[in-house]
Amino acid sequence: MSDLTVSQQRIAAKSEFSVLVVDDDQDMAGYLAHMLRREGMEADTAADGNAALARVVASPPDLIILDVLMPGPSGFEVCRRLKADPSTALIPIVLITALDDSESRVRGIEAGADDFLSKPVNREELLARVNTLRKLHVTRRELEQRRLAAEIERKETIRKAFSRYISPSLAERIIQDLGARDGPFRANAQRIEVVALFADLRGFTQITEHTEVGDVVEMLNDYFAILTEAAYQQDGTIFNMAGDSLLIGFNVPLPQKDAAVRALQCAREMVVRFAPVGRQWEHRFGIATGVGIGICRGEAIIGNIGSPHYMSYTIIGNPVNTAARLMQMAAANEILVCGRFYESVREFVPEQDVRSRGNVALRGRSEPTPVFCIAGSRP
Amino acid sequence: MTDSTYTVVVAQDIADLVPVFMSNRKKELETLRTALTAQDFAQLRQLGHRMKGVGNSYGFSKVSDLGKSIEESAISEDRTALDASINDYADYLARVNVVYE
Repeated sequence: MSDLTVSQQRIAAKSEFSVLVVDDDQDMAGYLAHMLRREGMEADTAADGNAALARVVASPPDLIILDVLMPGPSGFEVCRRLKADPSTALIPIVLITALDDSESRVRGIEAGADDFLSKPVNREELLARVNTLRKLHVTRRELEQRRLAAEIERKETIRKAFSRYISPSLAERIIQDLGARDGPFRANAQRIEVVALFADLRGFTQITEHTEVGDVVEMLNDYFAILTEAAYQQDGTIFNMAGDSLLIGFNVPLPQKDAAVRALQCAREMVVRFAPVGRQWEHRFGIATGVGIGICRGEAIIGNIGSPHYMSYTIIGNPVNTAARLMQMAAANEILVCGRFYESVREFVPEQDVRSRGNVALRGRSEPTPVFCIAGSRP
Repeated sequence: MTDSTYTVVVAQDIADLVPVFMSNRKKELETLRTALTAQDFAQLRQLGHRMKGVGNSYGFSKVSDLGKSIEESAISEDRTALDASINDYADYLARVNVVYE
């Protein structure tokens, strides 16, 4: 925040400072309001406690000057009610009491009054007290603006840091939910249930052997654009993009009750959307291509992993490894899933669309893994 | 009686407020008289308290002094003292002269 901006804010704050004077004596209220207006403040009056409470709700002032003895709720009662309400508790209240009335001052302090004025009101005392509270108000407003600016900057930093992993809609939701915490992107790693989806392009290596470098990059970009779009549509989080493979997580960083269904839908969309592109490439290069997909569900570790020089927000663990192995096994346009994942989507997949591959010994796993091929995925 | 025995110097910056202030004091005098006739000491006390608070704020110290007397006499329900204070108030309002500076 520049000095000029701070200065401009001070000027704006001075003219914007509003005071509500509450006194059933019309002359007293008028006198106090007149003095405050002469100092460049906005001053309004209310003739009793109920009118004051209604006015504060309708248009909260920056300061309240409150007489003690009034028809309806007394100044103490009005003060107590306003200080008990979180939406009005921070509005400073100056109680007007008799000079020698120490009992009223004690009651005022108990009710939450911020300061006191004595009757008869001395104009120098009035302005000194109000100006002190106004300075506090301006300072508090500046601090609040700085806090908000810092908050916006922090959220923007998070948005930039993580926008490449997640869809714009999910990013916005996370930013909205963030509050004062670091939200789902915690500094410490955590262990949570995830659905990991690996996708890879079959036949692409053969194509690259007969293609110009510029064309390869363009084709890869087309391919990743399709897969990324499918992932974002299901609010999946893209954790890794290497070569022609893609790692996507569901139920992370925010919980998704339907994570498994989203993952399955994402996989089907990837296969279907890539199909016309694959046909074009086949026509151009004479080589069949397609997306091979592996999905697994289980507990994984989520966190910012790496060194101080290079850090990446990622997931590691058994479901990721298993999904990777299943992806390697999958033929073009095939979706292979682990048994635990299949159990999660069983009710959504017709029995005839599923073929068991039996218990498969996957590399790196001590126990055989039940593997299923979910059909309905062929274009 | 039009002698201006009581001269009150008031700050120029509140000159706009003084006519309303004086008008309200005259209404107040009538209310005091009515309350005294009705022996409504609670109202007399409240009116005296209000006079005490507002008089000095505008620079009319006599109004505050009389208000203090009326408030105290109302508490002790001293009709004679109240009658005297209210007559003093009427005399004061009839003879006060405001000077702005």
